[in-house]
Amino acid sequence: MNAKLLAIIKREYLQQVRTKAFWIATFLIPGLGLALIFIQVALTRTLVAKGRIGVVDLSGRLYEPLVAEYKARPTDDEAEKPKKADEAKAAKVDEKSVTEKMSESRNTKITTKLDLFKVDATPDTLPTVRKKLNEDVQKERIKAYIVLTPKTLETGAAEWRAQSVKAEVVMREQIANYLSRAATKERLKDKGVDPAVYEAARVRVDLEAHEAKEIESGESGKNVGMNLAISATFFFLIYISIFIYGAYIMRGVLEEKNNRIVEVIVSSVRPTTLMLGKILGIGLVGLTQYAVWAGLALAIALPSVAAVAGMSEGLPHIPAATIGAFVLFFLLGYFLYASLYAALSAPFNTEQEAQQFVIIPGMMLMLTTTTWFFAFNQPNGTLATVLSFFPFTAPLMMFMRVSVQTPPLWQIGLSVAILLVTIWAVAWFAGRVYRVGILMYGKKPTLPEIFRWAFQTD
Amino acid sequence: MTAAISLKGVVKRFGKFAAVDHLDLEIPHGTTFGLLGPNGAGKTTTIRMIMNITKPDSGEIRVLGEKMNDKLQERIGYLPEERGLYRKMKVVDQLLFFAAIKGVDKDTAMKRLSPWIDSMDLRPWLLKKTEELSKGMQQKVQFLGTLVHDPEVLILDEPFAGLDPINVILVKDFLAEFKRQGKTVIFSTHVLEQAERMCGSIALLFRGKKILDGTLKDIKHAYLGRVPLPPPVEPEPELEKIFIKAVQESGLEAPSAEELK
Repeated sequence: MNAKLLAIIKREYLQQVRTKAFWIATFLIPGLGLALIFIQVALTRTLVAKGRIGVVDLSGRLYEPLVAEYKARPTDDEAEKPKKADEAKAAKVDEKSVTEKMSESRNTKITTKLDLFKVDATPDTLPTVRKKLNEDVQKERIKAYIVLTPKTLETGAAEWRAQSVKAEVVMREQIANYLSRAATKERLKDKGVDPAVYEAARVRVDLEAHEAKEIESGESGKNVGMNLAISATFFFLIYISIFIYGAYIMRGVLEEKNNRIVEVIVSSVRPTTLMLGKILGIGLVGLTQYAVWAGLALAIALPSVAAVAGMSEGLPHIPAATIGAFVLFFLLGYFLYASLYAALSAPFNTEQEAQQFVIIPGMMLMLTTTTWFFAFNQPNGTLATVLSFFPFTAPLMMFMRVSVQTPPLWQIGLSVAILLVTIWAVAWFAGRVYRVGILMYGKKPTLPEIFRWAFQTD
Repeated sequence: MTAAISLKGVVKRFGKFAAVDHLDLEIPHGTTFGLLGPNGAGKTTTIRMIMNITKPDSGEIRVLGEKMNDKLQERIGYLPEERGLYRKMKVVDQLLFFAAIKGVDKDTAMKRLSPWIDSMDLRPWLLKKTEELSKGMQQKVQFLGTLVHDPEVLILDEPFAGLDPINVILVKDFLAEFKRQGKTVIFSTHVLEQAERMCGSIALLFRGKKILDGTLKDIKHAYLGRVPLPPPVEPEPELEKIFIKAVQESGLEAPSAEELK
């Protein structure tokens, strides 16, 4: 390799890696990520449905069953017991009812502490009662009240009144659940069926996902959550990296320009060499960061360490194809956006000026995050397919598709080819604009001017 | 002998504005050449084209007998008018970086720079970040960066602009040393008086066109009798001599050479 290019790469790399900020960010990002996961877990464990709830039962048949359903709910302690009981009579009970119990026990993560009380009313007194209850809600003497009518038993329609229609969604859902069960049982009674049959007959079907292959790949639906997590983590890693390192490039270009050092450098090396060196140097900084993270992950995964940390299973298994695709599409995405950032920074004097133009490729990148979940759900759907061929979203979308459900090989090839051609074109454009832009001071150029630079003679 | 630098019919336009308009220049080897003219005359554009930073729209430029190329850049030292340093970089790393992009390895660069670093009192600052240096010190670093590859031709764009007085003397001494070594120095300035004292040859540019060029001697001879001469200077005593005399007359012991320094 060209010795001058090497000198530029070395300078860029060492300048970044030697800073404290780099190492702080390197350790802070995974730290923050873990913290977010812990907070998420902690929060789901502390979902709360607590408070006094008034029940206006105009049907006269639902209050007692509702309270009964509430009292019969599996609590934290009880949730364990039926499971054990099920295990004891495992031979008799089929698997699915175990699944059902488990899924119910999952609900117990919600701490439910309701104080249901009956409010006497008739259709005639209802307006007065309402007035009183509304006041109670507003003064926070009660959390909410519900109004049940004979219609509730017919169509399931009922009313929930609280301070806000948006808040306390969890509690509303919980009560709706109890009410559904209570109303169903009442309706069964009307048809002359013993409500106990309902409990015995109720079945929750669990569709366990498997891949349609002769050989069991081990990929079953139980891994879906983990797959989603891995795919999403890598996806956002690429996304964030492109933004972070793009900003590094932008700052680097503007620093050289504002320091007025750039003219000294381009009297020794070609502007394109300077630009390429900058992109490669900062790309290596990114890879260093990943290497550190991979090292940390491996250290945690080491059995001895894992044992100390009390993790019996270690880290999840990440498919090699996912890692390969990650590296490939990170590099492609990085080169594409890094060249764009270089081109769109060179003509300007300040970060603010440059930001206005850099936001354009930034928006295209953001497009992928807004469509990410739809595409994940249907990795071979039209949206995902189109976005994985559009060069500015392809690095993220194609990676996501590969990590979820390997698309036809020709599609991967086409996506990579489109990316390579685009990178070549953008790099050419960037080189031309960069060369003119770095020596332009003063007035902020317009977009047409910048395009003219790319096509003018030297 | 071929010229160190030659320009033939060089034109450079920015839009409709001709920054350099059909410029011919011959700069012989070993001369100290002044590219003169007011601001906006086209000096910087000309220098940038010589350095291959921008390209002429038409015309031909040859440096040391060749068209400018990557290898040739390593034989030329260039100090732009707008010059700067990486603020966060250590002084020594900065100098070695300048060397590296001129294709000079670390050992050669340090060997070459060492005497200059000492004569400029830069050694205590080598491991400091550039931003910790005074402006004058930074100017020294910039200048050393121009010399680190021992160039045959030195091109300086407004080298004295913004320089502190000590560094003006320093740079002048360097230029004199270059001249003694038979190297070619080209510098641009809008301060004509400076050029008059330092240059053997000059070219005068105005609005992108060359008004006149040649050796200073020839030009002065050609214009003898056509421009008014400066009034004859009345000889008057120097201030230092007056100081010594005044001390003596006050009855004190004459100042020593050390005190006068």
